[in-house]
Amino acid sequence: MRDVFVETLLEEAKKDENIILITGDLGFGVLDKFQKELPNQFINSGVNEQAMMGMAAGIASTGKRVFVYSIGNFPTLRCLEQIRNDICLMNNSVVVVSVGAGYAYGPQGYTHHALEDIAVMRALPNLEVVVPADPIETKLVTKFLAGTKSPSYLRLGKSNEQNFNQSEVVVSPGRFNELISGESGTILFVGSVGKIALNAAEELMNLGLSVAVASVPFLTSLDKEYLIPASLKGPIITIEEHSRRGGFGSAVLEFLNEENISASVGIVAAEQRELSQIGDQEFLRGQNSLQEKKVIEKFKALKEA
Amino acid sequence: MCFRLVIGRIILEMGQSHLIQRPSRFTSASELALAARREIITMTAAAKASHVGSALSVVDILSVLYSEGANITAENLKKPDRDIVILSKGHAASALYSVLALQGFFPVDWLKKYCENDAPLGGHVTSKGVPGVELSTGSLGHGLPYGLGIAMSRKMSGVAGRVFVVMSDGECDEGTTWESAMIANHHNLDNLIVIVDRNGIQSLTFTEDTLKLEPFEDKWRAFGWETRVENGHNHEALSRALNKSSKPLCVIAETTKGKGVDFMENSVLWHYKSPADEDVKSAFSQLKEDN
Repeated sequence: MRDVFVETLLEEAKKDENIILITGDLGFGVLDKFQKELPNQFINSGVNEQAMMGMAAGIASTGKRVFVYSIGNFPTLRCLEQIRNDICLMNNSVVVVSVGAGYAYGPQGYTHHALEDIAVMRALPNLEVVVPADPIETKLVTKFLAGTKSPSYLRLGKSNEQNFNQSEVVVSPGRFNELISGESGTILFVGSVGKIALNAAEELMNLGLSVAVASVPFLTSLDKEYLIPASLKGPIITIEEHSRRGGFGSAVLEFLNEENISASVGIVAAEQRELSQIGDQEFLRGQNSLQEKKVIEKFKALKEA
Repeated sequence: MCFRLVIGRIILEMGQSHLIQRPSRFTSASELALAARREIITMTAAAKASHVGSALSVVDILSVLYSEGANITAENLKKPDRDIVILSKGHAASALYSVLALQGFFPVDWLKKYCENDAPLGGHVTSKGVPGVELSTGSLGHGLPYGLGIAMSRKMSGVAGRVFVVMSDGECDEGTTWESAMIANHHNLDNLIVIVDRNGIQSLTFTEDTLKLEPFEDKWRAFGWETRVENGHNHEALSRALNKSSKPLCVIAETTKGKGVDFMENSVLWHYKSPADEDVKSAFSQLKEDN
């Protein structure tokens, strides 16, 4: 996802000199091409996320579209108030980009796990939270974000994510991206946990339950036309590589509450059992309930309830 | 520097018993500062607001900027190469609002509704719908990175004009100050000027008893900035201190919190207290053009 993002942004920035990329001294080997080809549109701010984010807002206030690149919690939690006051309040055209969603930097330890960012960023007004599922969606949302002015947060995985989409699809706020259709219920997911969703759907199909699976790239602009019928069809399971507190599942519940809909919703999220546990992404997902079997258990329990 | 000629005179009521003629735009920083001090005290009392001491401390700096120091007027706001002024110490909002209103950026009447429900002017600097205000501030340490960004963008695009960021000294406790100081130096931003309102007092007590800033000028120099130290209530000296420099420039403006009103001067109390009627009367009797 990371490489696709940078390649796509470079293409867009070549066409639009107002696109600026700032890094907080991260992206070794990843941003080199951008820096080499467009040195006047690239800044390495140094290790200073708070000043960097305020500076990004100031640059954006002069009419530029600024992408700020860093990893994990550095461009979000570390400089939260700069995003809140200088970007959201002032409506400045900045895209905060964080690489390493969830446990992508697993062995690096908890300081590098991004597990609360969706909840925190989603709470900010006037900020679109964008979480592509795979490299194909990453390319499309990057193009989309390069062409708009809205303050946004782009949450990316890291590298080697597989494509779940078969081909380029249409991505836009307020639109879910259905990967498979189904009649008995729905699995919605954000980010690179599509494999868990698709595998669970396959196993449920073997049990005679046909379940739809959809990715939700625009988390703060949910798809009303999709979600309301889905809530009537059967259970909805949400999957996110993020804390259950205030994350994507919460967003779905809040939406249904606002629509006065009582639905069966099961949240599969990172349970954060042992913060200091070391391991790779796959291992830590398994240790923290991000597994197909949890999706199946929850779906069956809600179906039978 | 280009000044618009005074083209008319407006009768303006100030306080209960002061009828004063004022020009449509002040070209004298001293006259502007005096008029602004009256507005600050009046509006702070009416709104039962805080931070009058901070506003009286910084008002001379703002008066110099908006009368002659910076190329910014109500008429040139849309010009991309005009100067930018950011008041980072957002709690001194009444000073900025007063100076902007007196210089014709928006109606002076707005000051009467300071902090009222649904009014444009909030207790901390509010930018939305307020001509001349670049950035909403109130949380310290935000103005300098933001101004740095504007200065950086102008350098990248070859746009002229300078960016002035007015900060408090207590605000320099914030890490963003020194992060920004490093970035500005690294990128040779000679179009960025910080003016520190060095009144020596912060929220609870004196700066040097809270978290030592001294040797303050040396700190900025060590970060690669040019420094100038001036009396922050001497308009001519301040104006001179804003002359162009070949590096990012920090002007340390030595000031007195509550300047111009003896019982407010150098007192933490007037960071919080709102002037009562008798305080306003007493303050008005003391105010004069050159303190």
